[in-house]
Amino acid sequence: MDLSLTREQQELIKSVQEMANRDIKPFALKGSSKYKEKMLLAMARMNLLCPTVPQEYGGLGLDLFSTALVVEELAAASPGMAAIVAATLHAAEPILLAGTEQQKSEFLPLLTGAHGGSAAFALTESAGGSDLNNIASYAEAVPDGYLLNGSKDYMINAGMARFISVVAAIDNRGKKSSLRIFLVPGSAAGIVTEEIYQTSGINLTSVGRVKFDDVHIMDQQVVKSREAGSGYLLLTQTFDVGRALVGALAVGIARAALEQALDFADNRLQSGTPIKKHQAVAFTLADMATDIEMARLMTWKACWLIDQGGDYSVASAMAKLASSSMAQRVTCSAADILGARGYLHGTLIEQLVRDARVLSTIEGTNHIQRLLISSQL
Amino acid sequence: MSFRDIGIKIQSAREEKGLSQEQLARLIGCSQSALSNYEKGKRRLYLSQLEKMAEILDKPLEYFVETLGHNQHPPVVPDRNQSFVEIMNQLNRLTDEDISEVMNYVRYLEWKRSGRA
Repeated sequence: MDLSLTREQQELIKSVQEMANRDIKPFALKGSSKYKEKMLLAMARMNLLCPTVPQEYGGLGLDLFSTALVVEELAAASPGMAAIVAATLHAAEPILLAGTEQQKSEFLPLLTGAHGGSAAFALTESAGGSDLNNIASYAEAVPDGYLLNGSKDYMINAGMARFISVVAAIDNRGKKSSLRIFLVPGSAAGIVTEEIYQTSGINLTSVGRVKFDDVHIMDQQVVKSREAGSGYLLLTQTFDVGRALVGALAVGIARAALEQALDFADNRLQSGTPIKKHQAVAFTLADMATDIEMARLMTWKACWLIDQGGDYSVASAMAKLASSSMAQRVTCSAADILGARGYLHGTLIEQLVRDARVLSTIEGTNHIQRLLISSQL
Repeated sequence: MSFRDIGIKIQSAREEKGLSQEQLARLIGCSQSALSNYEKGKRRLYLSQLEKMAEILDKPLEYFVETLGHNQHPPVVPDRNQSFVEIMNQLNRLTDEDISEVMNYVRYLEWKRSGRA
């Protein structure tokens, strides 16, 4: 594994940083929909809403390693914007892995180019959570396709997704082999956004509960519709990919906190010297930087394994577990360095502490990661 | 459904087909140790890999994904290679006289299995 970045990757980072510093970071804390639209447009102009979409469908065609570099930069500027991208990547993944040519041509271009939008992945339900044994959403076979009914909760990009990858059963409710992934256009009749939640962190994302009421879906909009068992296997694979990207999200959030803490420690004087010169603060900063580097390397390794087609299940779970825990430690350490300033509502560091909190929940809780890792030891 | 459940199904279908781990590993293009890990449930299999395996073993994909019933779990048998390692470790701690006795007992077992007992 070569850890040096290619010239293309260095240029990619630089261009994303420039855009993020100009079009995202200055507005990230404002949180209004007006700014959100501008930020999304800036990202779309750079084709960053779903960077893994192959070039023949209008995307950048980035591998996961390069995509992780993009997600880290976006997260360092606005964790909410990065979460929108991560959710979109998750929604597109089943199509990239197992979609037909028709599905790729129909859905992937919706996420690309200056007019591209986001997508959503709908798995979690109010009653059963993300337990694949208890998916209640059900698609009844009708002569020309399916009628989808059910409700999905805590869905990122609710009310704004160009399409939703919905996990539902087609028969024999309770059997994993009956699970399929339905590609539902966001404008389809019968989709009702019931509630958009006020979340503690990742502001600017739209997290909500969505109801599917007799949504008509054609057979060709179902990934591997005829293959019983394919949905379950695709889901596990999609999660393994998504977890690695949560690692990148965590690294970006932690990096923003470290940069904020470093800036403060350089300028805040105590007894006439910057507090960065005091070992108590300097050592904390050193630990934060080390923690971030460790998580970044684990994330890179997971992404590299995915790109190589290696055995990445454990690596991605470890990257997610380590990085999300790290981001929570680092943001809290940064808040400690800033003292009372880090406790004020509406400040960057206070926002980052709340942003980091979601990381141990999304893409499978950290306890789930421990289960996954321990089962493969 | 755990990885172990899928692994048990693979092992069962492989044996039903009369293939060794080496033979199946060669057919699906992985190492024997990787296949062993899949069967033990220590590694996760993805859709494309399992599709290939299902085709070779003449089973629908569904067969591997559905949870085993209680009576479908094979009895736990000690791993043969692991047992050899343990026996060697034990032997290493014995005196020459003890080892001679062990050898006598092994010969007795062989004689008994040969049907002359």
